[in-house]
Amino acid sequence: MQHGFYFDHQRCVKCHACEIACKTWNEVEIGPRWREVVKLESGIFPDVQAMNVSMACMHCGDAPCQKACPVSAISKSPVDGVVTVDPNKCIGCGFCTWACPFNAPQLTATTGKMEKCNFCQTPGMERPMDMPRACEEICPTGAIRSGPLTMVTSQGRERAAARLAPSAMQGFPSVVVDGARKFGG
Amino acid sequence: MSATHQDLGTRLAEIKGAQRIKSFCYTCPWQCPTEVFVREGQIVYQKGNPEAPNNIGSRCAKGMASWWVSRDPDRLKYPMLRTNPKGQPGQFKRISWDEAFEFIAGKLKSIRDKWGPEALALTCHHDPNTQFYRHLLGDCYGSPNMYSHTSGCEQDRRSACLTLFGHVFPMHDFANSRFVILWGMNMLGANQGLWESRALIEAKKRGCKLVVVDPSFTETAQKADEWIPIKPGTDGAMALAMCRVIVDENLHDKAFVTRYCNGFEGFVQHLRTQGYTPEWAEQICGVPAATIARLAREFAMTRPSMSAIFKGSGYYTNGADAGRACYILDALCGQVDQPGNINLKEWAPLHSPVDVPDHAKGKAGQPPLHLAMGYPLAPDLPNSRLPEAVLEGKPYPVKALWVHATNPVMSDPNRERVQKMFAALELAVACELYMSETALECDIVLPETSFHEQAEVRHGMWLGPQVILCQPVVPPVGESKPAYEIAQGIARKMGWGEYFAYERWEDWAEPMMKDIPMSVEELKEKGFWAGPVRYDSVKGGLPTPSGKIELHSQSYADAGFSAYPVYTPRSVMPDEQYPLQLTHSKLSMHCNIVTQNNPLLMEVCGENWVEINAVDAGRYGVIDGSDVILESPKDKIRIKAKVVQGLVPGAVSVRHGHGFGHWAMGSVAKGRGAHSNNLMDTHTSPITGANCYNECKVRIRPAA
Repeated sequence: MQHGFYFDHQRCVKCHACEIACKTWNEVEIGPRWREVVKLESGIFPDVQAMNVSMACMHCGDAPCQKACPVSAISKSPVDGVVTVDPNKCIGCGFCTWACPFNAPQLTATTGKMEKCNFCQTPGMERPMDMPRACEEICPTGAIRSGPLTMVTSQGRERAAARLAPSAMQGFPSVVVDGARKFGG
Repeated sequence: MSATHQDLGTRLAEIKGAQRIKSFCYTCPWQCPTEVFVREGQIVYQKGNPEAPNNIGSRCAKGMASWWVSRDPDRLKYPMLRTNPKGQPGQFKRISWDEAFEFIAGKLKSIRDKWGPEALALTCHHDPNTQFYRHLLGDCYGSPNMYSHTSGCEQDRRSACLTLFGHVFPMHDFANSRFVILWGMNMLGANQGLWESRALIEAKKRGCKLVVVDPSFTETAQKADEWIPIKPGTDGAMALAMCRVIVDENLHDKAFVTRYCNGFEGFVQHLRTQGYTPEWAEQICGVPAATIARLAREFAMTRPSMSAIFKGSGYYTNGADAGRACYILDALCGQVDQPGNINLKEWAPLHSPVDVPDHAKGKAGQPPLHLAMGYPLAPDLPNSRLPEAVLEGKPYPVKALWVHATNPVMSDPNRERVQKMFAALELAVACELYMSETALECDIVLPETSFHEQAEVRHGMWLGPQVILCQPVVPPVGESKPAYEIAQGIARKMGWGEYFAYERWEDWAEPMMKDIPMSVEELKEKGFWAGPVRYDSVKGGLPTPSGKIELHSQSYADAGFSAYPVYTPRSVMPDEQYPLQLTHSKLSMHCNIVTQNNPLLMEVCGENWVEINAVDAGRYGVIDGSDVILESPKDKIRIKAKVVQGLVPGAVSVRHGHGFGHWAMGSVAKGRGAHSNNLMDTHTSPITGANCYNECKVRIRPAA
C-alpha cells in the first residue's frame, strides 16, 4: 500500500522543527536537507499573502529519480511504496537531482552520494510504519501526517468533521452574542 | 492515549538503543517538558513530553537542535580569569574552581566594605537556577539589586498587566477564543509557547477571527484574517480609538465594568476630552478610521475574545500606555480570565530552594536601583540606565555586576556604552556556557552546565499551575558546574555555607516541592506536575490597589504620569537625513543570542537580514538579496537586504538584529550576519524603564 505524507499548510508556521527532527533521528550530516520548509509570498502591499510548505521526498508512485538512475540504485518498495537509495550502488552522478521535480535528492559533501527522505527507514533506526515519522512526531501544530495514502486523506475529512461536532465546542460559554455569527465566523 | 504515548516513547528508545529520561528544554524561556533519549552518555534524540499540555510531544527547531549544546566543542570548560586590563578584548587564563571562589569572595568583601552591598547588581535571563545567586547575593550579601533582563524584553507588557490586573505574565487561552487581536506580537514567528501556537491555529480552524496589527507581515500576520499594517509606534492611538468606539456605541460589558473595573466613568470622560476618535487615530496610525471603528465593533460583539501584546508595541517610549490601552479593550468587553481570554495564570505553590533566616540577611544602605533611579513603576531594572550608575555613580555607585545566562553587550542598545560600563566595573562575573561577547568584558568567567547537565525545578509556562523538572541527563562539559554548586562554593568562602548545605540536587528540590502534591521521585518519572486551570479570578478580587482592574491607576498618578493611558508620539521620527524607522522582529529557528553556535540551526538560517518595502527599495536602489549599508546617526552596519511587500513603507525591519554578527561565542557563530544594536542610541521608557529598541531612524544604500 502506497505510503505518503499529508501536509496542512494552514497549520504550518515555518518553525523548521520537522527539518531538525528529521536530521537528528536519521543522523543526517550538515549539508543535505532531506526536508525543508519553504515560504511562498505573493501580492502587493498591503494585500499580501504567504504560504509555508514543508517539502521532502514525495515517494512518487512513478518515481522519475528511479527512472533516471543509471545504476539502479533507487528502488521503490512493493510493500509500502517508499522510495530509497542504496548508498553502495549510488555513484553520485546527480541524474536523480535533475529528474526530480521536487528537488528531493541531495548530494552530500562528504561522500558525494545521494541522500533523501527515506520515510524514516534509515538502516539501524527504521521506524515501523504504525509509528509517526520524526517530522510528524515533532510538528508543534500537527501540520504533517504520514501513513497509507488512502488513510491520511480520509483522516483529513475526519478532522474537519470533528471540528464541526458539538464536542469540539467544549469550553465555550453557552451564550454567544449574535454578532459572533456575523463577525467571528 | 496515555498508554499509546508511553508505548511510542518506549519503542523509540528501543530503536535508538537509548534510555528515555523526562526533562525540560531551556533553550527559550517557554521551557517545554521533554523526553531525552540518551545512549552512552550522549543525547541521540529528543521529543516533547507527550503527557504535558505545554507541547503534547512536539518540539520547536531550537529545542530539537539543543542536543548540540551538550557536545559543542566551543563550550567553556574551565573557570577563566582575566589577565589583561579591562576595556580591551579579554585575555584569560584557566584557574581552578577554588581559586575562582577565593577571587570572587575576596572582591565581594572589599566592595561591600567600601561601597555597601548595594554596589552589586545581578542581571539574568529567566533561568530559575538564578535563584541560587539571588539567595547568595541578595539575601546573604544584602544587595537590593537582584534583577533580570525584562527591560530588554516585555517590560511594557509586564508593567501594563501588573498595573491593570496585578498579574505579571498572563497566558493566552486561544483554544476557546472566537476573536483575537494581536498587537505587534508575532507569536507564531517567535514560536515560543508551542501550546499557544497550536491552540491559535486550532481556534482559527474552528472559525476564530485573527487580526494582527503590526508594521510587518509576520508569520502570525500571514495566518490572520486581517493584517493591519500600522505605522510603527502608534498602537496606543489605535487601541484608544477602539476603546472610544466601544464606549460611545454602548458595546462595553456594563455589568463587568461596573463591578470589576476601577475608574470606568473617568476613563470614558478621558477618552472624550482627549479627542481619541478613529478619525484622529487614522492620521497617526495610517489605518483608515472606518477600519478602526469596524474592528472595535467586531471585537466588542464577538465573544470570547482577546486583545494582547507582547514586545513590539513596547519598543517605543510610548509603549507603556500603548500596552495599557490594548489590554483595556479586554476589560471593557468583560473579556478577562474567562475561557478564550487572556488568562491570569495561577502559579504553583513552589518554595525557595534555600532558606536564609532574617538575622543572617545582609542590609543595604540604599533602595533598589530602579527606585533610586526614579522608576517606581519599573517591573525590572531599567538597564539602559545602569551605565550611569557605574560610570557616574548616579543614583549611587555600582561597582560589581553578576551576569547569569544573559549577554547585555549584544542585547542592549548602544553597545559601546555597555562595553564602557563593563570596563569600569571593579568586579564583573559572567556565568556562561560560551565565552560570549559579555564574558569577554568580564573579570572572571565561570563555566556553567547547560540544562542537559543540571537540575532545575521551576514553574511551567502553561495555562494552569504547573511545576516542571529538568534533570541531568549527560555528564557536564569540562569542569562546568551548575549554578547551585557555584553559589554553594562562594557561600562557603563567605561563611554562609550552612544555608547552602545540600549535597545532591534532590536535597534542595524537596523543600521547593513541599506544597506540591507530588514527590521529587515521582516528578523525575513524569517530568511535570499540573494543577487544574483556573478561570474567573477577577471575581475574587485582583492583587491591585483597588482589587479591581485599574483603568484608573493611582500608582501612575502618584509617579507623575497620567492615571489613564494617553497617546504620546514616539521619541525618534525619521527625517530627511534618516528617512526610515528601524524596527525589529525575531526568527523562529533562533532564540535571542544563544543559538547561533548551533550548526543545525545555522544551516536552516545562518545569517540575518533587513527587510524593506519594495517601494522604498526602488527609491534607495536596494536590490533583493544584495548587501546594503544601514546607517543611523550613531553607527552603520553592512547587512543583507530582503525586498518585501509585507512591510509598511517608511520602515525597515531587521530580523534578529541582536542575535547575529557575533564576534565571540564560538566558531560557528562568529562573523555570521550583522549585529544591529549599536545603531540605536539609548532611549528609555520614562514609565517602565524599558529599552526602546525601535526608537531609531536610519538610511539605507547599496553596499559598494
